[in-house]
Amino acid sequence: MSGPQARLSSITSQLSPYPPRGIASVVTKSADDVVITSALRTPFTKGGKGGFKDTHASDLLAHVLKATIERSGIDPALVEDMAVGTVLAPGGGATEFRAAALVAGFPVSTSVKSLNRQCSSGLQACVDIANAIKNGMIDVGIGAGVESMSLQYGLNAVSEFSELLEAHPEGKNCKVPMGLLSEKMAKDRNIKRADQDAFAARSYQRAVAAQKAGKFDKEIVPMSNVKWTDPKSEEEKTITVAKDDGIRDGMTVETLAKIRPAFAKDGSIHAGNASQISDGAAAVLLMRRSTAEKLGQKIIGKFVAASVVGVEPLLMGIGPWKAIPEVLKKAGISKDDVDLWEINEAFASQCLWCINELGLDQNKINPNGGAIAFGHPLGCTGARQVSTLFNELERTGKRIGVTSMCVGTGMGMAALWVKE
Amino acid sequence: MLEFRTQGFAGHAVKYSPFFDSRLAVASAANFGLVGNGRLHILGLTANGIVAEKWFDTQDALYDLAWSEIHENQLIAAAGDGSIKLFDIGIDQFPIQSWQEHKREVFAVHWNLVSKDTFCSSSWDGCIKIWSPHRPESLTTLPTHSCTYSAAYSPRSPSLLSAVSSDSHLRLFDLRTPASAANHLILSVPLHSPPPAQIGQPRSPVIPPSEALTHDWNKYRDNIVAAAGVDRVIRTFDLRAPQQGPLSILAGHEYAVRKIAWSPHLPDILLSASYDMTCRVWNDGSGVKGPESADALAYGGGRQLGQMNNHTEFAVGVDWCLFGSEGWCASVGWDEKVLVWDVRAVMGQ
Repeated sequence: MSGPQARLSSITSQLSPYPPRGIASVVTKSADDVVITSALRTPFTKGGKGGFKDTHASDLLAHVLKATIERSGIDPALVEDMAVGTVLAPGGGATEFRAAALVAGFPVSTSVKSLNRQCSSGLQACVDIANAIKNGMIDVGIGAGVESMSLQYGLNAVSEFSELLEAHPEGKNCKVPMGLLSEKMAKDRNIKRADQDAFAARSYQRAVAAQKAGKFDKEIVPMSNVKWTDPKSEEEKTITVAKDDGIRDGMTVETLAKIRPAFAKDGSIHAGNASQISDGAAAVLLMRRSTAEKLGQKIIGKFVAASVVGVEPLLMGIGPWKAIPEVLKKAGISKDDVDLWEINEAFASQCLWCINELGLDQNKINPNGGAIAFGHPLGCTGARQVSTLFNELERTGKRIGVTSMCVGTGMGMAALWVKE
Repeated sequence: MLEFRTQGFAGHAVKYSPFFDSRLAVASAANFGLVGNGRLHILGLTANGIVAEKWFDTQDALYDLAWSEIHENQLIAAAGDGSIKLFDIGIDQFPIQSWQEHKREVFAVHWNLVSKDTFCSSSWDGCIKIWSPHRPESLTTLPTHSCTYSAAYSPRSPSLLSAVSSDSHLRLFDLRTPASAANHLILSVPLHSPPPAQIGQPRSPVIPPSEALTHDWNKYRDNIVAAAGVDRVIRTFDLRAPQQGPLSILAGHEYAVRKIAWSPHLPDILLSASYDMTCRVWNDGSGVKGPESADALAYGGGRQLGQMNNHTEFAVGVDWCLFGSEGWCASVGWDEKVLVWDVRAVMGQ
């Protein structure tokens, strides 16, 4: 740069808004950043049928935690706290998860909590740990998520509503089943079945292609010695689960069009354009950048910001639509700065509505498929998205990623991550 | 308020003569210092207002100046072409000496206030240089490896000097230390480090590093230095305890702060000039603590005392008059205005 241009750009940089906004501000590295050095998950398997149908959530968690220690090379004694998101486990799974951490090789000094923010529990776990690191409460932690929908999905997930709750118009709406309210939302917001099926078909096709290309191999930790009872012969077998088993090849708009609506005769939502019931676990290792550098941990990326918002319980599907602008605002960037989106496909209807309403580029969203194709183990998904996001950012050489999901009872969460 | 127009030249720095209460000098540049000539104005304060006593034209923009502390007619100027020029008011037209060692724009010059026999300069080339007016080459080069907008000697010690640079750090050099790999550097303070956490107070927001553009040594309190820049706030530090973070953070400017100067008369008063076109007077909170500022960044009980809004472009230079009643000062800006005013007239604004 020659004289006048250099002088002008020097003045321009001094006049730039402060604190810095835009991409420059989110990609800068500083010693107190919260960085990710490992993000792994188990395969996701079909609820009630798949490879993990007889495996306890705690065992899935122990497995992914053990792999986190092995693959990252972290000294488990340095992990001070662990948050595990789960939705269906009675008692929040708190007791089992503490035991699972010990089984995985963590010493008694590593504390463990479970938490439940419905479908965003896995993300909430990562954010809780990130915030604890930011505040200086801990230096190293794990945000995880796990769900065995095979063993724990059912009527016990919600206790009976009191008269007090039933008497409140919005309060009572909190217990309306997801399928029913999504059906109503699809109708109210005029989200056509054909569009939902097209979205779902694309999810399947992308996931099939990604699985064939081995794109999930890096994030998945295969699990061997899994006990599995053959439903036909009732014979117990020992199997190895290495792949997502919910991904179905050959799904097209035409095949999906044949499936009957699940929640209303004239409805648009069916088994093929809603997320699958699945089992799985995921874990994300987070620490302060200065600590990662001191330990020689390989930094995958950093956590920048997160948002959580509330919406009407009956419109829980619009959560990402509200949460995403919020997190972008916090980080000071625009939606066009984002290279990759992982938005949970709870239902094709709500995901599609959010994408269209936000005006996002379809090609940048869930390029390897989503929950419709490979499943949504409720409490796990938020942590799963982190591994899928970072692996895709690495493959494509991109930097800025957002994960988001809608949350039952009417909430939304989103988080911004930067690949390094 | 007195006003003078440096017609065709945007002001970059103004300094009162340390010898005469009625003389000041302005370093200026055509086309806002982006391209073109520079001009050094010698101005006299008379009963009829400000008059130009003399000026010197230079090939490139002038960004700063310093009066000689030993010779009442001499002053040095920092030029965009990397040169430093020594002018004598008694000699017309040309500088009596010129030094060309810096590889980029020289942005600050400062005369040694104690020994009075050397001066220092800092440049965008990432170096500070120490010079003697009697030597054709620099005496010492102190690297900062970062565009250095401001360098100044301690008012107490002939061998201490400090600098702030675009890497958001304040550096302190002690020329008495042996020349070693450290190049006399004895302290490096990250300016953006947060103030210490206080019980019962919300944590101060995390501030990313930003370019530091100006700094000044307190004239009464040893080891107290103020620095400011692109993040719009002025911070004061105690160089004996830099790890404690800033003593005070003065928030209020809406754009980068380009120049700050401690009062020569009072130990807790500061003057600042900013790209937001204002000059502001501050109390740093070291004496009487003010009411808590509403600004989330503010810290330490300092507060703004007044504000001068007469500049119509970037205000980039301020200096206090050393003589007479306390409060008189001068400011320059890109509006080609030199303003001489009394801060007491803007109190409460």
